[in-house]
Order: sequence, then C-alpha cells, then structure tokens
Amino acid sequence: MTDHPGSLATAEASGAGATPRIDMIGNSERALRDQDLQDALGRAMPSFRRQRAAAVTELPEWEALRTTAAAIKDHTLANLEAYLGLLEARVREAGGVVHWAADAAEARRIITDLARARGLRRTVKSKSMTTEEIHLNPALEAAGVKVVETDLGEYVVQLAGDTPSHIIAPIIHKSAASVAELFTRKLGVPLYERPEDITRAARQALRAEFLAADLGVTGVNFAIAETGTIVVVENEGNARLTTTRPRVHIAIMGIEKVIPRLADLGVFLRLLARSSTGQRASVYVSLLTGPRRAGEVDGAEEFHLVILDNGRSRLLADPRMREALRCIRCGACLNVCPVYERAGGHAYESVYSGPIGAVITPALEGLERGHELPFASTLCGACAEVCPVRIDLPRMLLELRGRAVRAGLVGRVDRLFARAWTFVMWDPTRLRIVAAVARALQRLIVRDGRIPWLPYPLSGWTAHRAAPPLSGRPFRDRRGR
Amino acid sequence: MTRETVLARIKAAQAAVADSGGGGSQGGQAPATAELPVLPVPQSFADPAALFIERARQLGVGVEIAVSIDDAAGRVPAWCRHKSVHRVAVWDTPDLAPIVASLRTEGIQILRPEAPLGELATADLGITGAAWGVAETATLVLPSSLAQPRLTSLLPPIHLAVLSADRILPDLPALFRSPGRLPSALTLITGPSRSADVGLTPVLGAHGPMEVMVFLVRNVAAEAASPLA
Repeated sequence: MTDHPGSLATAEASGAGATPRIDMIGNSERALRDQDLQDALGRAMPSFRRQRAAAVTELPEWEALRTTAAAIKDHTLANLEAYLGLLEARVREAGGVVHWAADAAEARRIITDLARARGLRRTVKSKSMTTEEIHLNPALEAAGVKVVETDLGEYVVQLAGDTPSHIIAPIIHKSAASVAELFTRKLGVPLYERPEDITRAARQALRAEFLAADLGVTGVNFAIAETGTIVVVENEGNARLTTTRPRVHIAIMGIEKVIPRLADLGVFLRLLARSSTGQRASVYVSLLTGPRRAGEVDGAEEFHLVILDNGRSRLLADPRMREALRCIRCGACLNVCPVYERAGGHAYESVYSGPIGAVITPALEGLERGHELPFASTLCGACAEVCPVRIDLPRMLLELRGRAVRAGLVGRVDRLFARAWTFVMWDPTRLRIVAAVARALQRLIVRDGRIPWLPYPLSGWTAHRAAPPLSGRPFRDRRGR
Repeated sequence: MTRETVLARIKAAQAAVADSGGGGSQGGQAPATAELPVLPVPQSFADPAALFIERARQLGVGVEIAVSIDDAAGRVPAWCRHKSVHRVAVWDTPDLAPIVASLRTEGIQILRPEAPLGELATADLGITGAAWGVAETATLVLPSSLAQPRLTSLLPPIHLAVLSADRILPDLPALFRSPGRLPSALTLITGPSRSADVGLTPVLGAHGPMEVMVFLVRNVAAEAASPLA
C-alpha cells in the first residue's frame, strides 16, 4: 500500500486481523451522551492546562530545553542498537538480568516464567503503560500469581474491572462518589465522602499487600545507558514500595526509553514533571542501579529488566514516523486536545489515547485496526505546541490519513467526496460556480439563519449541531473594501 | 535468540533511515556521543539555601534551621513530643548520632536499620540524612547504603531529614553532572507523598509519608569562612 520499508499496515502487527477495527466515531458519539464523563473531563482538562502553563512560564529556558530533549532522543534513536547494548552491559555489571522480548506474548512469557520458577505468588505493580500494553495482569493471574495494582487510580481501575483512560490520571472518568461506592462494595469500608478518607482506605488496604508481596513489577521512565540505571517517576510512593519491599523486582521498558547519560536525566525530569502535572519535580524519582548490594537491608534481591520491541522497531524504520519514539508519556498532548476533551480516553480503545495514541496505536496494533484514530483530530496543532520533545503530531496524523486512504481503508464515498472537493478547490471559477449553486439551494433548508439538516454525504456536519449557512457575499468579493 | 532478533530489527531500521537520508547511523558498538547536544549549564542562585527553604515551604514541607547538628539534636525531642512520636526508625550514620542520643535520653524508642519489618512498619517517624538538597525544586537526595535503608524515608507517616546547607545544589542538572558510582538506589524526594486520583483532589500521604520535615543545619560562621560560599 505504501512504499515505506516499515509499513504500518503490515499484517504482522500484533492483534491486527484478530481484533476488530477501533470504532472511534461510534465511541465518541457514546462519550458525548455520557454527561458524567463530559462533566469530569470539562473540570479536569482546563485545570491540567492551567497547572502546566504556570509551571512552564516559570522557566525562561523552556523552549531551549525542548529542543535539547528532542536532539538527545533523536541521537539515541539513531544509535539505538549501541545504546541498548551499553545499557545491557551496565545492568549486568550491576548484578541485574536483562531479557529481550520481540512482542507482547514473549514479554508475558518471560515474566510469568520468572514468577513460576521462583514460586512467587503475590505481585504488587506500580502504574505502567507498558504492562497495560502487553496485558500482563491476566497472564500472571492465569499462572496462579495474584496481582495488585498499587497506584491509587490503577487500584480503582482493577477493583472496578475497568481500563485506565488517561496516561497520568487513570480514573479521570470516575467521580469521587463512584470510587467511594466501589470501596464500600469491594473493601467493606464505610461510604466515605472526602477524597482524603477514600485515599486513606486504599493506603491501608495496599500497605498489607506491600508487606506480603514477593514480586514487584514496574515500568521504566528512563533507562540510563552509561550507568545501567532505571529511573521510575511517581508521586504516591507506591513505585518505591514496589521496588523496595518484594524480593524480586521486574521492570519492563520499550526499546525507546534508553537515554545515553546520567546528565541527560536533568533535562528530561524537568520537562516531564512540568508537562504532566505542572510540578517543578515529581515527588519521588528512584534511580535504581541493579539489585540491593551485599549487606543492605532493603531493596529487591533480584533485579530483572525486560526490553520490549512489540512494533516499535517498525516505527524506528519509518523515517516519517520515527519521531513518535521520542515520547516520554507525559500526557500533555491529551490535556490540550479538543477531541480528547470530548471523547475521553476510552474512545481510542487503546492503552495510548489522545494525539500520541492516534499516532502510535496504528503502529503497535496495525493501521487496519486503528485507521479511524488519525482522523479524530482537528489538526489545530495544540499538541505539537506543548509536546516537551517537539513531536510533530499533526504532521504524522496527516501522514497516517494519507496511508489509510492509499491502503483503501477509507470508504468510497469519503474518497469520492475528497476528490470532488479537490476538483472544485483547484480552480477559482469552479469554486465560484459551485458556491453560487450551493447558495441558491441552501434557501430550501435554512431555518432561522442556521442549517439544521444536510443530506448525505454531508449529514455528518449536522448530526450534532446546526451548521452556519454560506454567506450571501463571499469573502473573496469583499477584498479591497 | 530474541536478543539477536530485536537488535537485528533495530539495526535494519537504523540502516533504512540512514539510506533515506534521515540521519540514522549504521549501528555499531560505539555511539558518537560527541554528536549529543550541549546540555544547559546549572543555574546559579545567590542564596540556594534560601530558595530551598522558600520552595520547600510552598510544598508544605516544614523547615527548621539549626546552627549545628548539636543544636538540631537539642530540638528534635521537643518536636517529637509535639507530634506524639514514640518510635523512630533512623539511619545508622555518624552525623545522626547526636540526635539518636538525645532521643534515647527522652525515652523515645529507636529502631535501627536491621530492625524487623513488622516493627519498622509501626514507626511513627523516620529520620534520615540527605546527601544533597536541590534548591530549584526543594528536593532531598537520599543514597541507599548498609546504614541508609530505603524504607526509613518511606514507611513511617512522617519523614524528618537532616540536611547540611552547604550540600544544597542549584538544580537537577548540577546533581547529575557527573555519574560517579551510583548507589543501588538514589532516591529524590520532593515534598510529601501525594495523589490526586480520586476526584482530582490533591491528598497527602497516598503511600509514603504525609508529612516531610527538614532540619537544615546552617552554620553561618563556617559558611562565611568557606571559599565556596
């Protein structure tokens, strides 16, 4: 379908063909009718944007930092084989074990095998998008290992049998009252009203899990090649408990998480905290280099690092899509996206939602499955403006739209319409004639100065609101006045 | 096996992008680190300790200023009484010895690093040192070691850190300037544990301490005499 070496529509994409196409349009329509969701998003998104803006304007060097971060990531991606090799060597020197996983199934097998071989029964997990991506929890449960999510939001998601809907705020779609009700039902605690009491109840329940666990599983925010260090960033302290208390710690990272030097971390930590939550620094940043050393009384005795490909090398091979691998998962592009703010994270039917999700989900799961996602954008460009690593998301969304069309994934009517539109817009005379005809015809359907209904194939424009009519005098004719 | 598969895919991807003029390299074992961008130089603040104090207080972190470790040792017991602290987990480092001694004379129970987990979990307070402070973010930097367990600053509901003012760096880039040999865990702590997951309301003490207190040892006379000041 395209002439690119790493075509995103290749059938080898995990899940392609097996899982049905993501119904972004249908999901969005349902989300728009969900008033609770609309209220929650309408409260949260502006507050996230304000916090980020305040934190960013405090740093005069912000734009320079973004440029530096993008350059570090590009350099690392261009030399990824070498940096991953260096990371592997340094992790081994520090006493850790490195595993490589080509896809999700292999990553699941590595982790469940490690647990089974050591007789590990109780897992605590800290929030990790990568473990969501590989669907780790059901695999561990099937292997007879209990899994408890310990990030407060993820714990709620797990108790409710739900999925997270935001990279950094997993239960943004849930009200405090619904969480309180869930805890009463599942934990047998009184029906609390205040978020303080609800949080306290979770702290108590989870403290017991931490003390009893023998396996801790985390993601990785950054992996430093020159020192063999993994970096885990959080606010709650659950990732610290997860990596400190259980006997075995398994961390899983995508191949793109490596950075060359410890010094580079200073750049990325400043960008990540301010972009994601508007903090100057996240509450806890753990730099872990191997397992605990001889004589130390806490920290995991065994440390395993799983390095996962799962479709990322296809992005790496794709010159026009590669920069998506710069992403540090801060969530800033979700928070400014007008489509995310209405549709919510679940509409994307993927671990990764929002603009970055619309770019990388087709890469990880195949364009056949995810081709509606790149169309779920107004191309307003707000995401590119906030991205701390300067990913040009609108350009990539357009690129994917083109590929979806060339792959025949876009309906015939849409394609015919686009062709007709191109034909008309190509020539001023054609536009003038068509506009004159449309102005004449619209008299039949304008009601009170609006167009409440349009015939197919234009009906989508009036499905949720009345469209404005064409002006009686085109802008073109007003020039010079 | 898989290692070779994944690395071969990456190598092929790099070659593909290099061929298309996209700035990929051919791989190999020695990345040209000279191509890495120049990093921002650490900032310079007139009074990093003052900035640390201001920003720590913005986070809800209490800061007490002591003129010496003995001064701090004299004041910690009263602070513990005020907070109804009876059991204290503490790092086994020489610079904290005066504080441990003064807590003992007050009849406060001391839990050493090797105390069983069940006892540690019941401590009312954890006392640690801090290898560095970071002024821009009001961050405490705690390396792990035999005498410096990670759980001391994590399990108890209150964390008290003793930080020497001359160990305050301007910002994170200053902290990460040279790798040296890292401990098994280097923990950066910025304020009390928090979560805003439920109802988007910030709550302190999600899993870690709900209160963080810093005793800043600021020997003004010594600072004035130091060529670094």
